[in-house]
Amino acid sequence: MSHLLAWIVAAPAIAAAVLLVLPASARLPIRVVSLIGAVVACAGSVLVALTYDRVAGGMQMPDDWALVPSLGIHLKLAVDGWGVALLLLTGVIIVTGVLASWGVEKRGKEFFLLLLVLVSGVFGVFVSQDLFVFFLFYEIAVLPMYLLIGIWGASHDVPKRGPFGFAWKRFAVGGKEYAAMKLTLMLLVGSAAILVAMFLLWKEAGGTSFDLAHLEQTKFSLATQNWAFPLLWLGFGTLAGVFPFHTWSPDGHASAPTAVSMLHAGVLMKLGAFGVMRVGMVLCPDAAANWAWLVGGVAVINVLYGALCAASQTDLKYIIAYSSVSHMGIVMLGAATLTTTGWNGAVYQMFAHGIMTGLFFALVGLVYERAHTRAIAKMGGFGHVMPAVACFFTLACLSSLGLPGTAGFVAEFLVFLGAAEGAHSWWAVPAVIGAVVTAVYVLRACKTIFWGPPPTGEFAHLTDARSTEWAAPIVLGAALILFGFWPRFLLDFIDVASHTFLARIAPFS
Amino acid sequence: MSQWIQLFALEFAVVAIAALVLLWDAFAPRTGRAVGWITALLLGGVLAASFFVDGSGAAPHGVFVRDAWVVFHERLFLAAGILGVLGSIDWLAMRTPKRQAEYYALLLFSLAGMMLLAGARDWILLVVCFELMSMPLYVLCAYGKQDGPASEPKLAAEAGLKLFVTGAASSGLTLFGLALVVGMTGTSHIGPIVTGGPVGSGPAPLTIVGMLFVLAGFGFKVGAVPFHMWVPDTYQGAPTPFVAFLSVAPKAAGLATLAIVLLGGWSASSSVWLPALLVIAGASMVVGNFFALPQTDARRLLGYSGIAQIGYALLAIATQSRGGLAMTLFFVATYVFTNLGVFFVLHAAAEEGGGHTLARIAGLSKRSPWLGGALLVFLLSLAGIPFVAGFWAKLFVFMEAWNAGLVTLVVLGVALAVVGLYYYLTVARSTYMADGDRSTPVRTGFALGAAIVVCLFFVVGLGLWPKPLVEAANHAAAGIVSGR
Repeated sequence: MSHLLAWIVAAPAIAAAVLLVLPASARLPIRVVSLIGAVVACAGSVLVALTYDRVAGGMQMPDDWALVPSLGIHLKLAVDGWGVALLLLTGVIIVTGVLASWGVEKRGKEFFLLLLVLVSGVFGVFVSQDLFVFFLFYEIAVLPMYLLIGIWGASHDVPKRGPFGFAWKRFAVGGKEYAAMKLTLMLLVGSAAILVAMFLLWKEAGGTSFDLAHLEQTKFSLATQNWAFPLLWLGFGTLAGVFPFHTWSPDGHASAPTAVSMLHAGVLMKLGAFGVMRVGMVLCPDAAANWAWLVGGVAVINVLYGALCAASQTDLKYIIAYSSVSHMGIVMLGAATLTTTGWNGAVYQMFAHGIMTGLFFALVGLVYERAHTRAIAKMGGFGHVMPAVACFFTLACLSSLGLPGTAGFVAEFLVFLGAAEGAHSWWAVPAVIGAVVTAVYVLRACKTIFWGPPPTGEFAHLTDARSTEWAAPIVLGAALILFGFWPRFLLDFIDVASHTFLARIAPFS
Repeated sequence: MSQWIQLFALEFAVVAIAALVLLWDAFAPRTGRAVGWITALLLGGVLAASFFVDGSGAAPHGVFVRDAWVVFHERLFLAAGILGVLGSIDWLAMRTPKRQAEYYALLLFSLAGMMLLAGARDWILLVVCFELMSMPLYVLCAYGKQDGPASEPKLAAEAGLKLFVTGAASSGLTLFGLALVVGMTGTSHIGPIVTGGPVGSGPAPLTIVGMLFVLAGFGFKVGAVPFHMWVPDTYQGAPTPFVAFLSVAPKAAGLATLAIVLLGGWSASSSVWLPALLVIAGASMVVGNFFALPQTDARRLLGYSGIAQIGYALLAIATQSRGGLAMTLFFVATYVFTNLGVFFVLHAAAEEGGGHTLARIAGLSKRSPWLGGALLVFLLSLAGIPFVAGFWAKLFVFMEAWNAGLVTLVVLGVALAVVGLYYYLTVARSTYMADGDRSTPVRTGFALGAAIVVCLFFVVGLGLWPKPLVEAANHAAAGIVSGR
């Protein structure tokens, strides 16, 4: 099929355009159109995975349209092995995300419209082969989040704490609008850094083209690289939740509605990590090697600090949100190893964490809708009234702590192995400790919420998942196990791309 | 003679429409919306004619040159004029039904001044055109002095007076500077400064003083820091449909004049004016963006945002390259549609909500999703977010400035763009997330609605497909700066 990648990117956008003309009162058509857009994109991604020649590797299924020829900006699409894995992830998450938000009643039309626009941008980032278009899609993926959280999010009380406690009230900390603004501004500061780095590289490459292939062939001077790489790392890294620029993530994810949390933690944070690796490290190989100690060191902090923060939370959504910070640390750690194993693990972790955290947020949304509380201290014994939810939650927990047989294990194992092989083998030690802390907090949360004596009072009549709510747990849960037992299906794609990209860096590290 | 008519055909047509409107009102006064519609349609005819009439050429002694640069600006001003008229029709018919024609006539006179201005290559013609453009604006500014929602103080007279006083003062400043420049160089032609000294020596001190006075005078007109004090007050007080026009067309004309003078005439003496221009551009970006932060009145906020936007446009002029000038044009063109749109939506919301404060327009998107969505698109365009026109504008400006070596200002501008996003989003927050005290849909007159839709079309269309305008701007800029 020709222009397959373009169709994947366009399908959600077209669905969004159809929504625009539907009346807001057409409840079912709105949802069906959204679902069709999502399913078409997902099916396209599966088709890409099936037709991609994993032996040949490299960029496949190219498309090219001139956008602003005078500046060398082209809408150039193609997919590599990493892209295949992340397209699959995005496809699965958006379909389950739409189904999980079937019950959104408040301004439903606008909600689905923004969700589809956002996911269109995500697909676009993974297949762009022009740095500029990459950035465009990146922005599209980031910005709808402001409205999605600000309008449909949930506010909650955050107790005053820390040296800035006096400003809590002024900025309405804990409010959804606070979370939305914080997220948008922090990510936009990151974008500004990316933009500057983009100019730097574009100018030195002759100022004629943003084509990634062209930029890859350019040998940038060490000075340029040493400036551009940190900017790209901070810019994209903000979205990947790199410490200390992760603070938008817990607030944002905790305030966001279910599907948005799923997409944001599941897919969007991967855009950041993907950007650091695909743009930062591949275009600035010398600097990537120079700065590896910092990237990896901060990633280790991410793993440990995120896990410790998660362990001290009392709000269920904050636990999951901080666990994302910790798990994204593993991705960045894998990237910093600059070894094939580590990179394979990093991309596999993007996929595994995307599926797992999507499952987590879907289930948390289910629990919250029924129990109307996210404070785990108030919960207990929910396994008796919602056995399926309890079962899937446990599965997600097990993947989170890296139990063999789940996708999380494959990813974490590869990253730890890569870290041990790499230049700074000590990274593996704190990273493994982080995995142990993860086991502590996920199992404790799981135990407190779902096990123990049957709930009484207001929680006695909670129900299990219903109709469309089944989609997310079943699909994502199955994916966790499938890719835990059969990692090769994805690793073949990932490995061929990692080899190609790493060949550029290897001489320097 | 026939060549003369061709050269000024479009300007003559605009003046003729103004005369027609005045006469018609004198002999057959109407209170309906016919006057406005006829003005808009005739202006549309002139705009269409600009694609068929080839009036390129020059007046004797080169005082007026008509080339791609002028055509670009004429079309831009005509488009702004048409939209400005469309946006005012409903408001005028409702508020001052018996005094409609003079409003349109004044607007048209101002328009004619702007159109001539773009082609002026002689100081005397330039100053006269500038005054022709400015005088009617002073009147229009105070046009609705008894108007406005009951909840707001009537500030129109103050707005008009402020614009008039600063405008007159800045004209005086420009004229004083020109007296020095023309006196020292001995020619009224806008061209290189003849030093008279040995080769390579700069302009005489007195000429430098004159040049800086001229720059300051234009700084007032475009509302750049430190000559910006009138902007927020005037925006807040004048009738909103007029502010929409005031905030774009005269600014575009002022920037065009700056380009003619600085890049066309004084390019060899850039060591004199470039430092001043860079300081003005940087200060405008900083002051505009930061002073917009605490504003609670949407019009004041947009006033400061306009100051910041002018800073970006001046940055593009400071590149002194053809590409940079082309991107100034692109920037200004997108700014015209965006800012017109933003003020029109604001006008529609304020007429129903009873005021222009952020609290008064709260909940707009719930009352009228289309208006709310349009406002969001315009705000994002002002903030420079991808896939709306303003993004390309900011980006192109930054790229050209980067190429010209103005790295510090580019980094400053990129950082301030994030500050900008904050206050644009506070407007979006109040329309999308806050609850207003009303829930009925906002009624928009047909003309105003049409104007908003046209602006929306251009902002989104240029965001998706900027190529045609980029090419037109490059072509136009070649008339002022040759080379790259």
